[in-house]
Amino acid sequence: MNLATYIAMDFWRNFRNAGNTFFIVVLPAILFLFFGVNMDNTDLAVGHGNVSAWIMIGMATYGAITATTALAGSAAVEIQQGWGRQLALTALPHGGFVLAKTLIALGMAVLPVAVLNVLALVTTAQMPPLTWLASAALTLLGSVPFALYGLAVGLLFRSDAAVGAASGVVVVLAFFGNAFNPMAGVLLDIGRFTPMYGPVALARYPLMEGEIVGTSGPVGTDPLWGILLNVVAWSVVFALACLLLQRRRTARQ
Amino acid sequence: MNMISTDRNAAPVIEVREVSRGFPDGDGGWITAVDRVTLGFQSGEVTALLGPNGAGKTTLIDMLLGLSAPESGTIVVAGTAPRTAVREGRIGALLQTGGLLPDLTVKETVRMIAALYRDHAPVEEVMETAGLTDFAARRVGKCSGGQQQRLKFALALLPRPAIIVLDEPTTGMDVTARHEFWERMRAQAETGTTVIFATHYLEEAEQFARRTVLMHRGRVIADGPTAEVQRKAGAANVTVTWSPTEDDLAALPRIASAERRGGQITFRTEDADALARHLLTATTAHSIAVRPASLEEAFMLLTDGVRADGQDGADGVAAPVAPAERPATTEGASR
Repeated sequence: MNLATYIAMDFWRNFRNAGNTFFIVVLPAILFLFFGVNMDNTDLAVGHGNVSAWIMIGMATYGAITATTALAGSAAVEIQQGWGRQLALTALPHGGFVLAKTLIALGMAVLPVAVLNVLALVTTAQMPPLTWLASAALTLLGSVPFALYGLAVGLLFRSDAAVGAASGVVVVLAFFGNAFNPMAGVLLDIGRFTPMYGPVALARYPLMEGEIVGTSGPVGTDPLWGILLNVVAWSVVFALACLLLQRRRTARQ
Repeated sequence: MNMISTDRNAAPVIEVREVSRGFPDGDGGWITAVDRVTLGFQSGEVTALLGPNGAGKTTLIDMLLGLSAPESGTIVVAGTAPRTAVREGRIGALLQTGGLLPDLTVKETVRMIAALYRDHAPVEEVMETAGLTDFAARRVGKCSGGQQQRLKFALALLPRPAIIVLDEPTTGMDVTARHEFWERMRAQAETGTTVIFATHYLEEAEQFARRTVLMHRGRVIADGPTAEVQRKAGAANVTVTWSPTEDDLAALPRIASAERRGGQITFRTEDADALARHLLTATTAHSIAVRPASLEEAFMLLTDGVRADGQDGADGVAAPVAPAERPATTEGASR
């Protein structure tokens, strides 16, 4: 048995799915080049680096979260549409599928993080080296709970179209999560409670240490526990949704 | 693996003992999809599992493959548990619907599944045997139904299994493809592979299987050489223009039922030849038309027979019910 071959081939299948790859890698890269490089304010200093780095981290988080959402969602759909039965006729052990899909989803999530960090490095972003590394690692980490979000949607609707829509919703969540444009006032008050706010703030923590910037300077500070609470709370919500949906699915069989 | 076992006394390669399995029917009720089935399959035997939709064929096959577990009873495949037999590549299967990723090519699909077996036949060889080489580079989503079935057949061959299970393998195939498929299957069976296939086509059982197991509403209602089972299931409707007296009717051979409509009368029989011969030679009946009964009708006849013999019907489980009254098919529920 050669699980590595299976993983490589399934990764390639997902990678060449142009719709997915565009939203996961190309779109955030273009957005970063457009808004994060050589605009008026991108070399202004924020936290331990500059605005360009701040924007890059938001875009990378958006790409990574789109990846875990889309991949986990399509895995759920695949299993339910009969591919799971086909795999059950092989020597693939229980859990082998989960391991394969986890590695593939992480691989896809690494792509935007790597591409955007390299783009940022060779253009105008500035951060201390350790801050770069910590921020990239936290970007990946923060994208993991969204695998549960994708999984829940896949279990609920059992169609690739629904999973596509769920990835589309990530754009909206990214706005409210402060990934694209610095929020202030009421929007920020609402945004704090939305599921992408935590992962974005966590990825920016090495750079900002919780400081929130608006378009005209600092507008407040998030304590680390608040950021973590957001991540954990939404992880629990998504996990509960998956459990309930899974139970419903089993009961129906 | 190339030995053809003819030893009828050998232990069966698959043993199904008193197996039952049910599902919720979605309305708070319960459907018994497979009801106390006991069956044995010998090595090298080719068996048709014949029955209408909802007979329990797919549910039984799922259990043979370890995809679901029996509620009661035991299944032994190649001397071990179904799941182990699958993992060791001793049993391969072509499942009914779905089961393929549309955005892979045909060859990629075979390679990906091959990677998940500890030991598998060469990809090229399997593709040759299943007849995939002409469209190896085509996306699965663009393949015809018949081509997809052939691909699934190739996947079933990958572990070089001693037992192959096929669940309605010719679904979506036209007549030519169907014929070609069974030719390939026949070649496979000649190498000594044990073959079990589910079908609701009587002709497929007749042309390909030496043994037929007839299933209806979760029960095995007939099991034996195909010709024998076929005769049992081979009911027909005979329609003539005739105005018989009660005595005329009483003299008719092998009648299951009669229905008058205007000047015409339709008989249901399990021996159309004998009835037709009698009608045309011994009575004034004319304008005869003989229509083979559908499998569903044949089953009604058979299950009526079972009940009349007093062997069944006491518990009501296998009592005949008009098809329209049946709840959602069990095969639908098992997917």
